[in-house]
Amino acid sequence: MSIEVNAPAQPSLLRRGVVRFSATTLAAVAAAGVLATVDPNRPGHYPTCPFLWATGYYCPGCGSLRAAHDLLHGDLAGALHRNPLAVILLPTVLAAWVFWGLRLAGRTTWSPTNIRPGWIWGLFAVVMLYWVARNIPGWTWLSPA
Amino acid sequence: MSYGTPPPPPGGPYGAPQAYGGQPAGPPPANNLVWAILTTLFCCLPLGVASIVFAAQVNGKWAAGDVAGANDSARKAKQFAMWGAIAGVVVIVLYIVLIAVIGIGASTNN
Repeated sequence: MSIEVNAPAQPSLLRRGVVRFSATTLAAVAAAGVLATVDPNRPGHYPTCPFLWATGYYCPGCGSLRAAHDLLHGDLAGALHRNPLAVILLPTVLAAWVFWGLRLAGRTTWSPTNIRPGWIWGLFAVVMLYWVARNIPGWTWLSPA
Repeated sequence: MSYGTPPPPPGGPYGAPQAYGGQPAGPPPANNLVWAILTTLFCCLPLGVASIVFAAQVNGKWAAGDVAGANDSARKAKQFAMWGAIAGVVVIVLYIVLIAVIGIGASTNN
């Protein structure tokens, strides 16, 4: 059965949730620190996307490291050029993180599980179309190149 | 597809407490959607796309009274996102090891 994360009767579960939240937050801050200092535009700093390497086609995530690097340096235009979908979805990920914290504090019960299935199927469709569209020759505005 | 009008409630085959409209009582299992998005966009691995599909199935199955199906989809959404993330980390670690040992990094492009 499912368990309410913020149920006051489950102090051990709440503690585990706080530990996970803190660990995730620390890991994200550390990753952002590395990404801000180690430039993904320079070859040899990070591995190539395995899908791009194996097939020669861009995947929906290609360019997201460079986009995140650009964002960390305040370059929104550059980030949108590398991976517009990642830039658009980043605020929703940050919002989910905020709601995670609010749930642990007992301030809300809303979680991304409350999102209506139709919206998630919509996201799936957008990702698939994006995957195809950024590989169409000449349509460089969606590709990370 | 698992959206649209929910089918009529099943006759309680899983023995779960039934609330209104065949939807089981209590919150549905976490659909792990955010991990699916992170794996899709930041791990460069299409495993995340499969994770999005399973995340989308969770609430529809739950609303239809399919407790076991919802839990199964939630578990798969988590597993695909996790394996995508693990594969991503393994690739990065292997890459760093290869650079350190053989020094092939200079010729590889991001």
